[in-house]
Amino acid sequence: MFYVSTAVFVVVLAALVVAIVKGYQQESSDDLPQLELTEANKKRRTNVVLASVVATVVILFIFLLYSFLIGKGLTSELAQKNGVVIEITGHQWWWEARYDNVDASSIFTTANEIHIPVGVPVTLSLKGGDVIHSFWVPNLHGKKDLIPGKISTIWLQADQPGVFRGQCAEYCGLQHAHMALWVIAEPREQFNNWIQSQIQEAVVPATDSAKHGQRIFLSSACVMCHTISGTPAGSNIGPNLTHVASRQTIAAGTLENTREHLASWVNNSQRVKPGNRMPTMSFSDNDLQPLLDYLQSLK
Amino acid sequence: MADQKKQGTAKLIEVELPQSSIEQDRKQLEKTWAHAHGVLGWLMEVDHKVIGLRYIKTAFAFFLFGGIEAALMRIQLARPENHFLSPDTYNQLFTTHGTTMMFLFAVPIMTGMGIYLVPIMVGTREVAFPRLNAYGYFVYLIGGLLLYTAFILNTGPDAGWFAYVPLSGPAYSAGKRVDIWAQMITFTEISGLVGAIVIIATTFKMRAPGMTLSRMPLFVWAQLITSFMIIFAMPAVMLASGFLASDRLIDTHIFNPAEGGDAILYQHLFWFFGHPEVYIIFIPALGFISPIIITFSRRAIFGYTAMVLSLVATGFIGFGLWVHHMFATPLPQLSQSFFTAASMMIAIPSGVQIFCWIATLWGSKVHLRMPLMFVLGFFAIFILGGLTGVMLASVPLDLQIHDTFFVVAHLHYVLIGGSVFPLFGALYYWFPKWSGRMLSERLGQLNFWLMFIGFNVVFFPMHQLGLQGMPRRVYTYLPQTGWGSLNLLASIGAFILAAGVLVFLINVFWARSAGAIAGNNPWGADTLEWSTSSPPPVYVWEYLPTVEGRYALWMQNEKTPLVVGLSTTKREILSTSVVDAFPELRFEVPGASIWPAAVALATAVAFIIGIFTPWAFAVAAVLAFAALAGWFWSNPDYENVNAQNPTEAFMKPTEQPKELQPKEA
Amino acid sequence: MSSRRVIDVSGLPHHGFDTIDPVWWGNNGLLCIETSMFMITIATYFYLRQNFVTWPPPLGQLTGPLNPLPDLFFGTTNAVLLIVSVLPAVLIDVSARRNSRGAAQFGLVICLLFGVAAIVFRAYEFPAVKFRWDANAYGSIVWFILGMHLAHLLTLTLETFLLTIWCFVREFDMKHRLDITALSIYWYWVVGMWLVLYTIIYWTPRLS
Repeated sequence: MFYVSTAVFVVVLAALVVAIVKGYQQESSDDLPQLELTEANKKRRTNVVLASVVATVVILFIFLLYSFLIGKGLTSELAQKNGVVIEITGHQWWWEARYDNVDASSIFTTANEIHIPVGVPVTLSLKGGDVIHSFWVPNLHGKKDLIPGKISTIWLQADQPGVFRGQCAEYCGLQHAHMALWVIAEPREQFNNWIQSQIQEAVVPATDSAKHGQRIFLSSACVMCHTISGTPAGSNIGPNLTHVASRQTIAAGTLENTREHLASWVNNSQRVKPGNRMPTMSFSDNDLQPLLDYLQSLK
Repeated sequence: MADQKKQGTAKLIEVELPQSSIEQDRKQLEKTWAHAHGVLGWLMEVDHKVIGLRYIKTAFAFFLFGGIEAALMRIQLARPENHFLSPDTYNQLFTTHGTTMMFLFAVPIMTGMGIYLVPIMVGTREVAFPRLNAYGYFVYLIGGLLLYTAFILNTGPDAGWFAYVPLSGPAYSAGKRVDIWAQMITFTEISGLVGAIVIIATTFKMRAPGMTLSRMPLFVWAQLITSFMIIFAMPAVMLASGFLASDRLIDTHIFNPAEGGDAILYQHLFWFFGHPEVYIIFIPALGFISPIIITFSRRAIFGYTAMVLSLVATGFIGFGLWVHHMFATPLPQLSQSFFTAASMMIAIPSGVQIFCWIATLWGSKVHLRMPLMFVLGFFAIFILGGLTGVMLASVPLDLQIHDTFFVVAHLHYVLIGGSVFPLFGALYYWFPKWSGRMLSERLGQLNFWLMFIGFNVVFFPMHQLGLQGMPRRVYTYLPQTGWGSLNLLASIGAFILAAGVLVFLINVFWARSAGAIAGNNPWGADTLEWSTSSPPPVYVWEYLPTVEGRYALWMQNEKTPLVVGLSTTKREILSTSVVDAFPELRFEVPGASIWPAAVALATAVAFIIGIFTPWAFAVAAVLAFAALAGWFWSNPDYENVNAQNPTEAFMKPTEQPKELQPKEA
Repeated sequence: MSSRRVIDVSGLPHHGFDTIDPVWWGNNGLLCIETSMFMITIATYFYLRQNFVTWPPPLGQLTGPLNPLPDLFFGTTNAVLLIVSVLPAVLIDVSARRNSRGAAQFGLVICLLFGVAAIVFRAYEFPAVKFRWDANAYGSIVWFILGMHLAHLLTLTLETFLLTIWCFVREFDMKHRLDITALSIYWYWVVGMWLVLYTIIYWTPRLS
């Protein structure tokens, strides 16, 4: 498409430029207007214009056919097979991913980072949570909107292992700019290991500091929004933190998952993503360090 | 006295037309058509030339505001994770930028060009409904002031110019920001609809004798087709914004999925309007290009009929494209393919026009003055935009580049290339007619090249940014994405483009006092507006013209009749038949009146206070009724009661009068 | 002395009926706009219907019909009333064309009465829909349709009111005779549109 378009552009503009250059006149508006063309002239022009129109129609028709065939190719095949099923719900401003399973005890929920096995079709069931978002991982698939009240389904398959970045592609409010996600395609075995670890409940804190951190977590506002399975914290308003330390990024792909970033995100998320739903926590350092120890233990 | 004459038909005769009588008529007409004065006069004036220029100036002011908003956004985006603007300010900015450019600049300026030029181009003195016309302007102005008052007070809308639900609904947009947006839409759409009615009635019924439909200038065809599109498209957005406003204000559930409403319905309603809207902006620009090419190649247009049919086809097909804005929604693939086909098909009539224009220019003597320069800019920019449009029409490709900066590039290429460049060409072309002075060609060249180069530096890199994955409507981006350098380049380009616009303003202000005197027809053009003085007298012509062919001034001669017999003491224009322009009525048009402003005020009460309480509509209904009753009851100021009608005095027929039959007009 | 060919239009009238007069074009242009509004509203009605299993949806009570249709009485009476009102509308149209002032005055008063009656009946149609505008999408869209058409009934009646007064106290001149013919076209449109909307609101849920 690109090359044909470039060719069309060059040809049409060249015709224009030649016409202008050939006819260029210096000042004077007193030459008589030409109201009629000779028959031969008219015929020639008509033929050229007609030929151009026919060429346009043909080119467009070819594009149309091509586009339709590719579109069919994208949607038809993978829909037949069964593979991994992930239900993605869009929230302001993070991604909830629920891995479905026939066996209920294998169902788990995570956020902002999803793993898929290489060479296996993945069904993504996209649900709108609050406003319209759009799931888009350019290297893997075109975008699809998550619309409240509707469910969209896309099927994709990673043929190579890799780490792919996606970003919300439908304006969804204040922090639309910071609503990214990561898709990690890995070989089947690694993927299965990841699944197994995600299904487990949260790691029980081992050190005193981490235990203290867990106590802080469970007695402050954190517990109002976040789930850590295996603890009393069970709210669905914010991302599931059961395995937060296993993720490469935090804040929906905005920050790399380091202790320093975690500290600024937890304590003052409004500086990182102004307007996001997490309030400013302002823990004292005495509380913050153990809390970070706890969070960083949640692999 | 004229009413008591033999009622009936128009007569083709030869008379003596002594200079003294012409002078007398002129003086009388100046009094009859005189403008109202003072502040009250500003509110009361209905002269279409005044209203048209108000539209153009107001719309251009909004263009400048929209440009400043864009410049601020470009500063924010120049570097990754920039803190120049907060996310809230940025979101208000891009919403206001889009809303301003689409609703407060593009459509009203095209309306204004039509309101000023269509009557004169078809050979009459005034639009068919001057008071309705004035009302349309006031409503537009109020809508624009409403939006900007909110914006300046930091309660501007922030849900995008398209305001998708549920983000714009009551649950996720608190306060009155979106309500203000929704009601502003109401104002601008009422204004557009009113303008469309005025232009259709004027075009159909007020053309000069001899100007059959097939002799009508392409500018007028473009305005006519646009007006029809407005009538069928704007109701959709009135309903979309009306449903949204009522969902927010009185808890209806049109868009609430929890109670059976539908979020995609909003998109259908909005884009059923939104796609034709861009053609409403584009088609009048096509109507600028034709007269400019005709004038500066000194040639009849090649393929007039094909050109008219292309405009009509573009108008029709434009209604069948809207789902291409919704390819990422869960609509069935087969129905999406229909819209791919239509979206590609619309390139055909545009292509026909481009080929016919090139055929017109080929082999002609080309006078490369500023209007034509801008038209050449149109070709270069719009064609590229049209080609990226064909790419976007393909569903699989669109699913990657939808909602990215590729689309931002595309839409600016087609809107700025397709409408703004021809508009600037039109401003250079008709500025002499409005003001009596020529704009500077040298400043014009600087203006053009700064705009052309600046535009490409801003928007060409955006294609690449979109292909690299940068989504739209983001107030910042991470450094790791690598989008920084192209963004910086685009931001630099924005200031080059802005410099170009600044040069234009300098040119205008310079030319108003120091430009060369234009005279009636500085370009040697063919359409009727160039047969009167620059600027035209308030009554435009002492005796209305008739036309012998498609290129009025190029095809007229000493035997081309003038129209006499219209009153000089009453405001009269000639109404003719729709297809053949055969004289039918002496149509009386009203003069200055306060009622349009009064009804606009009632409209303002309804829709502004209606943002806060639905009871405003009840109150406003009463006010509107009172104002409309006043309008209905008022003396329309047809008649200047202190004068005589001297038209008869000098008319001594020199041969037997011929009753005009329809075929002879 | 310069001799000049001219077209002398001094003998032309100031007004003409139907398509001759620019006002006809203006009025019918406005009617095209309003028709588009209603067509899109009707499309919205059917679009929303797809989101419901039963339409209208069940009332939120344990007892009561699963499918609470709007009561027919007031809507049907209004429809009949409006159809009959076409007669005085035709009367004013014809008498305006024939320059019969008396007949026009009479017809206008009758039209006015019909208009007021239609508005009164419309007020009762709203509660006949078993849902409020804020209950669900069905209630919202039906109230919208009824309300939009009510706005036209109000405008129609008020315009009739103004013309009635004029025809009694001021001159029965050509301009106002033309206004009467324009009013009659608006009248037919309001009635015609109601018949379409009435069928959609009251009958399409019953017949499917």
